Amino acid sequence: MTPEPTNEKTTSPAPHSLTAPDSERPIAGHPRSGRSGATGRVPAVSIVGLTKNYRHPWTRKISRGLEPLDLEVHRGEVFGYLGPNGAGKTTTLKILTGLLKPTAGTAMILGEPIERVSSRARIGFLPEQPYFYDSLTGVEYLEFVARLSGMPGREATKAAREWLSKVGLGDRERQVLRKYSKGMLQRLGLAAAMVHGPELLILDEPMSGLDPFGRRDVRDLILEQRERGTTVLFSSHILPDVEALCDRVAILLEGRLERVATVGDLIDGSAPVVEVRVEGGRVFEIPAKLAPVVERSDTGGSTGLRLREPERLQELLAWLLAERIAVHGVTPVRPSLEQLFMAAAEKSAFHAQGVRRPA
Amino acid sequence: MMALLVARNTFREVVRDRVLMGLVIGGLVLLLVTRLASPLAMGEGLRLTVDLGLSSISWLGLLVVLTVGTALVSKEIDRKTIFNLLSRPLPRPLYLIGKWLGLTVALATVAAILGTALWLMLVVLGHAAYAGSIAQAVFLASLELAVINSLAVMFSALSTPLLSALYTLGFFLGGQWCADLRHLASHCPGSLRTLLEGAANVMPNLPLFNMRTLAASGELTTWTHLAIASVYALLYCGCVLSLASAAFESRDFK
Repeated sequence: MTPEPTNEKTTSPAPHSLTAPDSERPIAGHPRSGRSGATGRVPAVSIVGLTKNYRHPWTRKISRGLEPLDLEVHRGEVFGYLGPNGAGKTTTLKILTGLLKPTAGTAMILGEPIERVSSRARIGFLPEQPYFYDSLTGVEYLEFVARLSGMPGREATKAAREWLSKVGLGDRERQVLRKYSKGMLQRLGLAAAMVHGPELLILDEPMSGLDPFGRRDVRDLILEQRERGTTVLFSSHILPDVEALCDRVAILLEGRLERVATVGDLIDGSAPVVEVRVEGGRVFEIPAKLAPVVERSDTGGSTGLRLREPERLQELLAWLLAERIAVHGVTPVRPSLEQLFMAAAEKSAFHAQGVRRPA
Repeated sequence: MMALLVARNTFREVVRDRVLMGLVIGGLVLLLVTRLASPLAMGEGLRLTVDLGLSSISWLGLLVVLTVGTALVSKEIDRKTIFNLLSRPLPRPLYLIGKWLGLTVALATVAAILGTALWLMLVVLGHAAYAGSIAQAVFLASLELAVINSLAVMFSALSTPLLSALYTLGFFLGGQWCADLRHLASHCPGSLRTLLEGAANVMPNLPLFNMRTLAASGELTTWTHLAIASVYALLYCGCVLSLASAAFESRDFK
């Protein structure tokens, strides 16, 4: 089936990265808008009031998987979708890829409503813990899915071989998938998501089940796709990876969107902290006027004093000098994305106490 | 085109499955056993060999449908391999048609292999003239399996493998006895009559695909019979797959 053409304005093809396979190309009828497309008027993903309710088949009780969600993912950006288990991340991604039907709301992918099957021609999707046909070989599988996404036969075979090599499985072309390890299958899933040269990549927990080397490879692949102008929307639990890769992140808690911001804004907007390291093994008591804003931690040969109000640093240092306690270092500390995420989750849990989510 | 891609993949998957290979070998062994048992038929050995040989094709085909066909879609849902397909520009009805077509071609291949083995056995016994009747019988058996397979795919798309197997078996048995069901309905009063007639109409008319008795005598059926059976199978499969598609279209894959 030929994907339906869209009215969307597209720009010139993206320059291919040095390592991108030659066959990585836009599929028929859908010219790729490159990195320059980031300024395009049509967003990669546009979601308005998207809601999902689940009804229990026996009790008929309704539970809410996703509160009305409004979200926009810009062209060419890497967008992190964060949230604990059950937050609604996978639900959102499955609605976008047509695996779940929304209860209410609308969503557009690259300017096309998700109800149109053709909207899926320009996306690549990696499900969480992907599963494959055991009896197929890696090349057979990639060729099959590339053709399903609209690639002609010969190009699909060529792209399948190239992508298999690209994800480090080139020497296993003829091996059936039942003999692949979990990490290999995850890499094959990534190749399957990218083999047809999609404009939007939707990755559900792409780092899941990978060792540190595998994670690094996935990070490199995502960055390379960004360089090519591909928009990447991915969910993850591994926050350092999100911090390293994403232009913007959305935090989803209990099916509700808590915040959308750039990683920089999230971290810069948080309260700064100063850590003062002093000699260890000294018995001292922090004066009462500083005690509420100083947190003490003893590790090995040194003691850390974490000051939550940096403007009172002079006061703390003056007291340390007066007490003749040796100061080893003063470091301004920004909270990591992980700490911010945990704080948001705790705040949400606190608010949710005694208030069950509406059905 | 999309349906053909799915069909090709399904065929490849089914053919590489050890279950199918085991059943083909079992079928070949069964053909030899029917030959060995033919002296017990008191002069009707040839008839018995052909009849049992053709029956074994149908029964083994049914076994494949019940073991593989009834789990064809539900296994993909359980194992989540379906996520990688339906997240692409593949309309759900074409996915179902592809799954049905792939297994139907695999079943026809198994029927052709066993039919050829039966014919070769008859050639060795000096009865090469049975080729035409065996080819017709194998063709009709393949149509019968296509019809049962469409039911299996429909139930597989909407239910668990065990329930799908039970429903499919129920329709198979109902289909074999649909003439008896109609006869019974004619002797029943009022609403029970309507109910039984309705059930008989819904069940596939499987006796239409049975020419084993004719083939056992080395006789041929008419081209009209073959054409009617083909059109009937096509329409029945079309209706069943349309129903399956309508129900499958709104299904959520969690």
